[in-house]
Amino acid sequence: MLKCTVNGKEIEVAEGTMVIEAFKQAGEDIAHYCWHPGLSVAGVCRLCMIEVEGAPRLMIACNTQVTEGMVVSNNSAKVQEAVKWGLDFHLINHPLDCPICDQAGECGLQDQYMKFGQYDPEMAERKVKKRKVVDLGRKIVLDTERCILCSRCVRFTDEVTKTSELGIFNRGDRSEIGTHEDKPLDNDYAVNVVDICPVGALTSKDFRFKQRVWYLDNDSTVCNGCSTGCNVNVYYNEKGYFRVKPEHNKDINDYWMCDKGRNIFKHVNKENRLLKAIKKTEAGTQMMAPGAAAKDVASLIKNYSSDQVAVVFTGQYTNEEYEDAMMYIDKLGTKKVYHWVNNSESFDDFDGILLRGDKNPNTAGLIKALEAKSLNSTWEQLEAELNSGAIKLVILAGPELQEYFPDIQEKIQLFSKAENLVVLSSNPNPAYRDVDYLIPMKTFVEKKGSFTNFAGTVQKIQKMRLVVSQALSLGEAMQLMAGDELQIGASL
Amino acid sequence: MSIVKRPDIKSSWYVTSIVKGMALTFRNMIYNIFHKDEMPTVNYPEEKYEYGPRFKGSHILTVKKDGSIRCTACMLCATNCPADCISITAAEHDDPEVEKFPISYEIDTLRCVYCGFCEEACPVDAVRMGPEWQQPGLNGSSFVHDIQHLTRRPNLKGGYLSILDEEERHNSGI
Ligand code: SF4
Ligand code: SF4
Ligand code: SF4
Ligand code: SF4
Ligand code: FES
Repeated sequence: MLKCTVNGKEIEVAEGTMVIEAFKQAGEDIAHYCWHPGLSVAGVCRLCMIEVEGAPRLMIACNTQVTEGMVVSNNSAKVQEAVKWGLDFHLINHPLDCPICDQAGECGLQDQYMKFGQYDPEMAERKVKKRKVVDLGRKIVLDTERCILCSRCVRFTDEVTKTSELGIFNRGDRSEIGTHEDKPLDNDYAVNVVDICPVGALTSKDFRFKQRVWYLDNDSTVCNGCSTGCNVNVYYNEKGYFRVKPEHNKDINDYWMCDKGRNIFKHVNKENRLLKAIKKTEAGTQMMAPGAAAKDVASLIKNYSSDQVAVVFTGQYTNEEYEDAMMYIDKLGTKKVYHWVNNSESFDDFDGILLRGDKNPNTAGLIKALEAKSLNSTWEQLEAELNSGAIKLVILAGPELQEYFPDIQEKIQLFSKAENLVVLSSNPNPAYRDVDYLIPMKTFVEKKGSFTNFAGTVQKIQKMRLVVSQALSLGEAMQLMAGDELQIGASL
Repeated sequence: MSIVKRPDIKSSWYVTSIVKGMALTFRNMIYNIFHKDEMPTVNYPEEKYEYGPRFKGSHILTVKKDGSIRCTACMLCATNCPADCISITAAEHDDPEVEKFPISYEIDTLRCVYCGFCEEACPVDAVRMGPEWQQPGLNGSSFVHDIQHLTRRPNLKGGYLSILDEEERHNSGI
């Protein structure tokens, strides 16, 4: 350990720490654009200026190692002046785009300008115009004028995805970020460059112009897109959910997430949701409150003996929900509980970065819950019993992310062999057209709980804004179907 | 338990106050009949009051030289509005020079308090408060003004030109 003094605070840091990290550790503010904790050091923005006692000139904090007894500061007038003029150089050719720039509100330039700038520009020269609205494929739009050439995005494609699509072209004030011949930037992690870009040069097509960032709240949760369980921040307001960004967790996803996971909020929004329970009757269909429909199922279950009832789970619910569900399955008395494994061929795939083939956030949790009750019926048994007519009623805890269940149509046809099929699902699906009861469920942002990822790490998810307030959690649905009443205040 | 007090004789002195008040009313009435030009009220709608040029009336969305809408959908007006009565939906413009524009811009003028904060927040002189102050309407919905009304209602005679011109700005090197 090394002792050093940062802005008058004495701290101890590990050997090999850069001064900028020492600043972070001491909780001191330091301006920086090019340094990113998940990438290598470039030292090109010259904004992280510091004064080191004994050194004649200012140095950059991101590329200076802490030495024993070092005394550094960035609050002197000399440093402030240097940062101010450094910022002015960045702004020489920067367009006046804030009104139409998606980064406004979370922009490094805006923040620094409010802190150190607030001057009138002193450049007499005309701004150099560069290309705007460059289409980089399905996901990303590039504005080369807004870029401050920090090279974070270039280092990301070089070091993290190792695909090296991005580069800096031309020289001097004509330098531009780009891909060779404007080829699309289409790797599976491309949208991360939007997050790490400190300005609005790289923007996400999906989020572009949907909302201004200051209208959004955010909460951290766990991505339910695959069994890696990346830590993410979900951004939402009263109009709905709008975007997902990764959150740092050094053991799981570091600073990144995959692009598929960026879509996990889409099924949550009201226009895609199942709002009421749907019951199929002789006369057609009947809309019901979700709770009432579950009670209806409870009275239906009474017509059957316990071994005529089967329950099918998918790995998309929380540990707490499985636990509750198992409790009420005990009450129903059936031992016929099955695990629907989607895409079983690619289940164990891994792309070497984050993305896993198991497209369920909580397969491990489900397996554990089944083992705890020593429920080990196989899928073949289910098929056989459905074919023989031994199972009269199937309750399916349907998937939340239906796109990862390509076999949904066949499976529903299979389950339909039973006299009654009850599907619990947050979203409608054409395959559910003929099911007897379709009951709306909460999505992963509407309930508290935890997911267990592939490695067995249990991570908490948070309840954010309710979209369909009547929707049930799996535990509540099973409780009602088992004939119990819901307790007020006990809901997840 | 509430106690009801019967009005006693003293309280009937209100009659004097009424007589006093009516005397004032009639005195002014008769005075006004003979001095019509001094009367502070106007006979609306035959006569209309002339407000000063700084009056903040109905909103106007200005246009560019080519007649398209000046607003860039930055939502600063909506952010600044204390009555939360501006709703904007932004979209991508086909022209990369424009980039962002509002496909819908609505002001609920029944909620608006005519403070002018929207006008003040706008970075491109796209929303202004005009001189009009009469807003007839049949029901609540006719007071929610859309883009069409805000830019091209007949009273605007083809639209107001914004003082900020992109081309001039580009030519001057900004
Ligand atoms: S990058 Fe930042 S400073 Fe530049 S236009 Fe966008 S918001 Fe404004
Ligand atoms: S596009 Fe953004 S991340 Fe890339 S070099 Fe420019 S400013 Fe940095
Ligand atoms: S005048 Fe005031 S209240 Fe009315 S729209 Fe503008 S900011 Fe909102
Ligand atoms: S009227 Fe002005 S402030 Fe409001 S969105 Fe349009 S450009 Fe922005
Ligand atoms: S952060 Fe140190 S030079 Fe950019």
